[in-house]
Amino acid sequence: MTEADSEIIKPEMLKVYVWLQTSDGSIQQVEQEVAMYCPFICHEIHSGMGSSKNYPISLPSRVNPAMLSLILDYCRFHQVPGRSNKERKSFDEKFVRMDTKRLCELTSAADSLQLKPLVDLTSRALARVIEGKSPEEIREIFHLPDDLTEEEKLEPIKNTMDDPRIRLLNRLYARKRKELKERERLKNVETEEEHADDRSVDDLLSFINGGNEDSKGSRTSKNKKKNRKRKDHDKTAPLNCISTSSSNSSSNNAVNMNKKESNEPAVYGKLPPDLRNATKMLDIENDRFDPEDEFDDCDLDDDIDPALKEKIDREVEDFARRLNSDWPERMQEILSLGQDRRPLQLTINGNGSLRRFTSLDQRQK
Amino acid sequence: MGDDLISELPQSIIETILTKLSIRDAVRTSILSSRWRYKWASLTHLVFDDRSVTQCNDGPLVEDKVANFITRFLFLHNGPIHKFSLSTSYLHSSPDVDQWLLFISRKDVKELVLELGEGEWFRAPSCVFDCKKLTRLELIRCELDPPPNFKGFFCLKQLSLQQVLIPPDDIECLISSCPLLESLTLSYFDSLELTVRAPNLKYLILEGEFKDLCLANAPLLVAISLAMYMTDDIAEHFEQSSTCNFDRFLGGVPNLERLTGHIYFTKYLSIGIERGRNAITYHHLKFIDLYQVSFDDLKEVLVVLQLIACSPNLQELQILGSSNTPAATGDPDTGYWEEIFLCNCTLDRLKTVKMSDVSGVPHEMKFIEYLLERSPGLETMSITPSVYNTEGRLNMLIDLVRFRRASPQASIVFIHEQV
Repeated sequence: MTEADSEIIKPEMLKVYVWLQTSDGSIQQVEQEVAMYCPFICHEIHSGMGSSKNYPISLPSRVNPAMLSLILDYCRFHQVPGRSNKERKSFDEKFVRMDTKRLCELTSAADSLQLKPLVDLTSRALARVIEGKSPEEIREIFHLPDDLTEEEKLEPIKNTMDDPRIRLLNRLYARKRKELKERERLKNVETEEEHADDRSVDDLLSFINGGNEDSKGSRTSKNKKKNRKRKDHDKTAPLNCISTSSSNSSSNNAVNMNKKESNEPAVYGKLPPDLRNATKMLDIENDRFDPEDEFDDCDLDDDIDPALKEKIDREVEDFARRLNSDWPERMQEILSLGQDRRPLQLTINGNGSLRRFTSLDQRQK
Repeated sequence: MGDDLISELPQSIIETILTKLSIRDAVRTSILSSRWRYKWASLTHLVFDDRSVTQCNDGPLVEDKVANFITRFLFLHNGPIHKFSLSTSYLHSSPDVDQWLLFISRKDVKELVLELGEGEWFRAPSCVFDCKKLTRLELIRCELDPPPNFKGFFCLKQLSLQQVLIPPDDIECLISSCPLLESLTLSYFDSLELTVRAPNLKYLILEGEFKDLCLANAPLLVAISLAMYMTDDIAEHFEQSSTCNFDRFLGGVPNLERLTGHIYFTKYLSIGIERGRNAITYHHLKFIDLYQVSFDDLKEVLVVLQLIACSPNLQELQILGSSNTPAATGDPDTGYWEEIFLCNCTLDRLKTVKMSDVSGVPHEMKFIEYLLERSPGLETMSITPSVYNTEGRLNMLIDLVRFRRASPQASIVFIHEQV
């Protein structure tokens, strides 16, 4: 009896077991020869861990019990030396038939255990999942967020530029981007406006003092930034609307002074609807002058000698005071003018307005 | 639904997955989501092949598209490049290719494979020789001109040149200046006299017309495959030579495990061979695979016999005959064979023999008889008669049945296909 018993027990006792602990804390007992197929576990065993229940091998957090059981199935099959290549291949093919979520988890777990053959196998399976599918399908399978803007998607990484629609779209996007950039710049470039407008103050003052008749004369240097370009590219449109534009600038200015802000939305908000539209049209027209936009910074460095600068400052102050008192009547004028004219060339950075605003601002700081 | 399944995986796994896709599909992943925008751009294994091309009949248009794609890809790529493989019939030699190679050479590339379309052969720019970290170089249809100050690829382990124009002296220099070279493949070289000096070489594949082949220093060779073409010129050249090719070629490779010889291999080795020569023993040679052995030529038979005699541990032998003459013409040199049968060598480990295209010529049948008698461990001998020999098959079978077999478990399989 005893002999028979020992004969039966012996083979079992010869098998060595190791203890593995997964991320959730549960401990599992596994045949050593199977577990050793994973390099990570192999190293741990060689450093003495895992030989008893009290000192289990802590598996990396990416290995949960479900994944561990899959991995051990894989190891159990492959660690047997006598298998033919055909058998192994056939096993592998069947093994990776699982849903994508589990495939991803398995890849991650196998990678953390350094089990390269299994990582290769699952990666190949994942590649097969991705292959040939449309982006929407892929996003759905892997729950990827569709968080790229249409513009980013169209950016020319591939040679899709041959498509005329895409070229047109790109141009529109470029223009839109330009618009946004302009607005940003306008918010930030106020000090530069100051320099740009210095030279034109005389003109401005004379205009304002002289009323609306002087329009053509004063047109030249007003609204330097935008007008300069406009002068070069499109002589027709701006010329008729100077008075309105300047007045509008002054009105804007008044508004701005009151609010101490020159951000677009506020201005738009304050201006009556038709003016707002006019401003929009202006921006679009400005976009036509794209190349010039970037390089207009030549306006900034006007070499004005300090004495003149002082004089100009004083005059501007006067002007500001005067404007403040005239504001409501001015507004009326502008409105009546606006309705008669053709598309207005309004600029937010009207020479007088912002400049006035900033200089005042500086004083108040 | 829930969270992202895949973007969390480490970059090495993402790279593994992306490299298993065609490179076009890999780039397409850039529009999946913001995290995937540039995952493709750090791929280190770049394989551009005809899968990257949408099929189109307009040659130059496709060429432009492919070139454009590769240029933009490289420009947007970010990080090291370990493997660059360009294998497409649509591209031809062009400044674009040169520029890509220049770009790659600055990226510590380790594996370079280049195969362009038919037409004017691509001339490898000198930047190829600046890729110091190369471990594998494979070039097809190109001109190679190593610069005079080229010292060698110190890390190169695998070299494969197919249809490559290279000055003859330079090729020997190239081989010997790669100290770590383990695998060498040379295909379609014309009239080459080659002396191979590669102390670490293990695998050698040669194919072409060689005037002279000498493995002067390749003691670690484990596998050789030689396809020897022979033109009339070369045959004449051999008539006049007095060296024993067998010695020159196989004299210094004691560790050989596998030998494969195509076309005129045995003829080549038969030149200069003598009966009593001192041959080295190939203790590890297990597989011999010979094609187009002409059993009409006694010298070729001698080559085969000597090979077998020097390989005590031979396990598998495959011979494809190429005898043109039908059976029973001329007298078999019976004296010769008596001598052979007298010597004592046995092939204890020989298990499998496969004879194909057997014409039944006397020497061939004697050879089979010899094998059957000398292989106590033989398990299978399969014989496939030549398609040209229809009448002699019966005689062949009669002889086969008569032969004594040293191995009790040997089975002779006569593969007879009904036409």
